[in-house]
Amino acid sequence: MIRTFDIMLKDIHQILIDRQTFLFLLIMPVAFTFLFGYASGGFSSGSSDSRLPVGYITRDDSWFSQEMHELLADSEVIRLQEFPANKLDEMDKLIANEKLAAGIIIPERYGADFLKGKPIKITLIADNSATSTTTVKSAILSTLIRLDSAAQTANIMEQMIGNRTPFDYIFEETLSAWETPLIRISKIESSAIDPEVNETLAYISPGMMLQFAIAGLMTCAQIIVNERKSRSLQRLFTTATRRIHILAGHYLAILGIIFSQFTLLILFGTFALKVNYLRNPPATFLVAFASALCIAALGLLIGVVSKNEDQAVVFSLIPMFVFSGIGGAWMPLEFTSPTFQKIGHISPIAWAMDGFENIASRGLEFNSVLIPVAALLGYATAFFILAAWRFQVSQEH
Amino acid sequence: MDAIEVNDLYKSFGDVKAVQGVSFTAEQGTIFSLLGPNGAGKTTIIAMLSTLLRPDQGDAKIMGYSILENPMGVKSVLGVVPQEIALYEDLSARENSTFWGKMYGLRGSILKARVDEVLEMIGLTDRAKGAVSKFSGGMKRRVNIGVALLHKPQVIYMDEPTVGIDPQSRRNILDSVVALKNQGMTVLYTTHYMEEAQELSDKIAIMDFGKIVASGTHAELVKIVGQLDRITLTINAEGSQVLETWKAISGVAQISSENGFLTVLAEDSNLVLPRLFDSAASLNVRITSVNILEPNLEAVFLHLTGRALRD
Ligand SMILES: Nc1ncnc2c1ncn2[C@@H]1O[C@H](COP(=O)(O)OP(=O)(O)O)[C@@H](O)[C@H]1O
Ligand SMILES: [Mg+2]
Repeated sequence: MIRTFDIMLKDIHQILIDRQTFLFLLIMPVAFTFLFGYASGGFSSGSSDSRLPVGYITRDDSWFSQEMHELLADSEVIRLQEFPANKLDEMDKLIANEKLAAGIIIPERYGADFLKGKPIKITLIADNSATSTTTVKSAILSTLIRLDSAAQTANIMEQMIGNRTPFDYIFEETLSAWETPLIRISKIESSAIDPEVNETLAYISPGMMLQFAIAGLMTCAQIIVNERKSRSLQRLFTTATRRIHILAGHYLAILGIIFSQFTLLILFGTFALKVNYLRNPPATFLVAFASALCIAALGLLIGVVSKNEDQAVVFSLIPMFVFSGIGGAWMPLEFTSPTFQKIGHISPIAWAMDGFENIASRGLEFNSVLIPVAALLGYATAFFILAAWRFQVSQEH
Repeated sequence: MDAIEVNDLYKSFGDVKAVQGVSFTAEQGTIFSLLGPNGAGKTTIIAMLSTLLRPDQGDAKIMGYSILENPMGVKSVLGVVPQEIALYEDLSARENSTFWGKMYGLRGSILKARVDEVLEMIGLTDRAKGAVSKFSGGMKRRVNIGVALLHKPQVIYMDEPTVGIDPQSRRNILDSVVALKNQGMTVLYTTHYMEEAQELSDKIAIMDFGKIVASGTHAELVKIVGQLDRITLTINAEGSQVLETWKAISGVAQISSENGFLTVLAEDSNLVLPRLFDSAASLNVRITSVNILEPNLEAVFLHLTGRALRD
């Protein structure tokens, strides 16, 4: 059993003295993350809309409510995203997932009651602890104050001038007089949502990480191929070392390498790219570990089936392109048709991407990674069994 | 006690009958050689005895462990020097030795001490940190041998360990094989150099086409061709012209003429040859070629198979 660790350490030593390792496992994914990131505007926060996205549902179609909507829509702080009244669930979910900073619901007869001076309640759905909530609140409040003042003024004017000036005309006029709002809202950087920038990087970062983890398998697989070609494997078989321990040693080595790569790149993604991997560290850890188990088993299989070093390279690049391509490492699968999404999930990468994105960008809870993790473990088991079978068969005479 | 006991082994690769009914025994603490040309089946036997290949038929016991029933037992007493270099060439000599030492069950300070000893023994202490891939063929061979000795195995197989190396390294290796025997190890040695077999072996089996054609001590084997030197000559005349005269020369035991070749069997070619040249001169015949074959394994092989060992 201890020989398994000896073999693992020997392999890791061999993998690390090969410069190719660092190229594929660290340099390429970082470089490509930047490349793709720039190409898809992930870093160009200047031109993009950085206002807080806020859901908006109105159950009141009075002109007053429309007025309010217009004011809010012009806000420099929030960006309204309208939902039909019956899509409250959807809006709730997006808020829970932090896709929206908050949601506003304008109740029925709001305009009429407001004008009558009745107590009014706009429903604001938001995470009270988030700083973005304060920002949204102040934006709404300032709009209401403007509306209220305008309405008050209009009322007063109406009373003073009688019926000669129509209320709505005055209201409009007064409102424009308030171009400079009473309460200035300073722009607050939201911690909950930092729109756009991380949206793009949140899939490019894990996508490149997974893709190049597979590319990096070529080095790992070459170690196994070379062991066989150099007849060191034959020599190993003349020592009292069990085959399963040899195989396990190789597997643990690749696992160690891939998992270290994930750890470094996740830290890089977190601190350099502000990808929200650490929103739920245990969940991210679980997805990373299951992905590493799966990709390492694939590497073992490649090493066992490859007849020479060239095959090890080709057999690593093919799954890299196929699994990454259909598995959504280059483009989120949500952007594709439901059929393609189904096909895409043949690729273990799709499950790994689901796992990482559920945490880093969809803002889902721990439970959301369990199915992706189970799928990854399934692939890991299948790859490992195939590798073990080939290893056994290829040595029998 | 017999350290190695081989019982009627057979192995075919498709149509190629690589090993056909090989049996032999090697006593503990001795050197047993398999001598035979390329393709005789030596490596195939070593592979079966190291449990890498499963025999089609037959069994063998190594220190009492059956290769069929207890391969792990066999491996636990074994050191194998494979015919081809089997090392991690990207690692250094020391890293290779340390890794293989661990695979042979050595740990800690014992491992370190043994690695130092073996590196010293194979004369690579100074180059221990260099990657094996940068080594010369001879240095690689020495590492290849060294790593099999780390755990001081009870039985060691050496499959043509001296092929393709310089004379000095070869001398070194042959000396170390004898040293291993003197430490009480049993050595199974294969070669196609009869001098090596002759020098090292307590017992020799001569192999050809998957079979042992003769076995025994060097002296026993040589007896097969008798104690006489064999001199083969050609002359620029009919053999019959000299046949009668040469038969009478003292020291010549037997003479025959066939296909233009004269074959003389003599007790000592050194004494007989000058007499043959003198006689030829007086008969006005020129000797155009001479070949002397002393009664050695080469002659035995030729005698038994009709072919030279080094085809
Ligand atoms: N793996 C193999 N597949 C097919 N033929 C083989 C294999 N190994 C050895 N042979 C054949 O078996 C015969 C014996 O080979 P080998 O044991 O290597 O001889 P030696 O070691 O005495 O040179 C040769 O004819 C060789 O070509
Ligand atoms: Mg051979």
